[in-house]
Amino acid sequence: MDDRLNVRTMVDAKKGKIKPAIYTDPDIYQLELERVFARSWLFLAHESMIPKAGDFFTTYMGEDPIVVVRQKDGSIEAFLNQCRHRGMRLCHADGGNTKAFTCAYHGWAYGLDGGLTSVPLEEQAYRNKLDKSRWGLTRVPRVSTYKGLVFGNWDNEAPDLETYMGDIAWYLDGFLDRRDGGTEVLGGVHKWVIECNWKFAAEQFCSDQYHAPYTHASAIQVLQASPANKGDGKPLGDGQTPRPVWADALGGVQFGGNGHGSAFFFTEKPDANVWVDGVVSAYFRDTYAEAEARLGKVRALRLAGHNTMFPTLSWLNGTQTLRVWHPRGPNQIEVWAFCICDRDAPVEVKDALIKSHARAFGPAGFLEQDDSENWVEVQKVLQGHMARKTDFCVQMGLGFEERRDDGIPGVTNYTFAETAARGFYQHWADMMSAESWEEINALSAAYQKELVHE
Amino acid sequence: MARVHVCSVADLPPGEGRRVDTTPAIALFNVDGEFYAVADMCTHATASISEGYLEDDCSVECPIHTARFCLKTGAALCLPATEPLQTFAVSVEDGEVYVEVAQGEGA
Repeated sequence: MDDRLNVRTMVDAKKGKIKPAIYTDPDIYQLELERVFARSWLFLAHESMIPKAGDFFTTYMGEDPIVVVRQKDGSIEAFLNQCRHRGMRLCHADGGNTKAFTCAYHGWAYGLDGGLTSVPLEEQAYRNKLDKSRWGLTRVPRVSTYKGLVFGNWDNEAPDLETYMGDIAWYLDGFLDRRDGGTEVLGGVHKWVIECNWKFAAEQFCSDQYHAPYTHASAIQVLQASPANKGDGKPLGDGQTPRPVWADALGGVQFGGNGHGSAFFFTEKPDANVWVDGVVSAYFRDTYAEAEARLGKVRALRLAGHNTMFPTLSWLNGTQTLRVWHPRGPNQIEVWAFCICDRDAPVEVKDALIKSHARAFGPAGFLEQDDSENWVEVQKVLQGHMARKTDFCVQMGLGFEERRDDGIPGVTNYTFAETAARGFYQHWADMMSAESWEEINALSAAYQKELVHE
Repeated sequence: MARVHVCSVADLPPGEGRRVDTTPAIALFNVDGEFYAVADMCTHATASISEGYLEDDCSVECPIHTARFCLKTGAALCLPATEPLQTFAVSVEDGEVYVEVAQGEGA
């Protein structure tokens, strides 16, 4: 244990209290880059974005720029997007296809496999003395794929991807595995900046069902079925689920474990949420039988609710947004949002989904704006000295954690709970203070056992 | 001079190039049905011209540092290259493509 910044005194998961300095302190942020982001499995890309040899996509692991590259043999590698000569950003494109990566500064060039292949004036200037084999790109040592999603991890000691995911894999399957053929990313990536700490966004998607009926009330009012609103096109709401899923829900469940979290309502029918376009909602109804055969009833019916895979990958079932909250200092994030669709969905469903996704959760999306406003205002409040010293309350459903016997895995609670938030912050504090993955795993296991009195 | 067989016409469609493993290596291109051969190694720095990008004016752009060369004359058309690429004669007989290389060179 090396709790050099005393973060374990700032997170009290057992009493449900948090000191908000964890969202603002620059020293804590620097330690997060090292102990959380350089040790966790982080989402890099969807396989469908880089299908051919030489296809690449540039992204980030924490603040480190990364280039993800499809190799000639079909495998995927990821490298630090930094020239080994003088540290210049190597690839400046968002994505594309290439035969080589050439640095714009002095012209050092690298192959798809990261090897240094060409150095201008190698003979005259370096007198042929540069050992190019030692100056290849810095390779992300662990790259692994789960049902189309490509992840990377800097830490050789970290558990393998599926062990790291634990029970969140069961929830993620309900998003990625509804139909034969898997999923793909539709259109480009929406990228925008929000002035808030990364944990506000990640934790809300992990645990906070509670905000939805109130924060999003006006957006839902506008986006719900409105046959009068015909204009020149179809009435907004044709085919949509008529009311928010929570209005007609038969209870629900929240899951929290290893920092990951998820929550959803039980519904009688496969209902996407009210803001999902009618064409898309109808598609989910039409393909329900296939989804049920693949996933079982609980997950096939689930077309709403929120999820975070620790630390920064979040998604919303039915809405079909998948996003990464790239940290940019303690007070800012860059959101990268991907629209995920079954590969075999008809083209009219894909067209409708792109619009529906952007309308609700794009950078100017009705619901996205509601969420951003909350996070930004909390971050502003935390500029205050007294505000930063004032504890946050994370006590919802405290002590009501249980393991279910109906096949829904992990430590669970009622949908409206902060079980996943407490688990998120406990795991965060464990990663911030533990010196090894062995220690992190032991701390996680002990916390979860105590929660359900095992 | 020696004549080196490279491939069938059908093996190299218009708009594509391939490396010929002669000594030195040659880059062969099919530009709208006309075949051109130049030295494969860029005159500026280590780069395989056969992996370059064909442009509309019968030139090729080096894939590494974006120098451009005329495929007809080998001339360097822009920086960072200043020296021309060597050019090689190409012949097509019975649907087979050959390049002419100096004696002592060859596949």
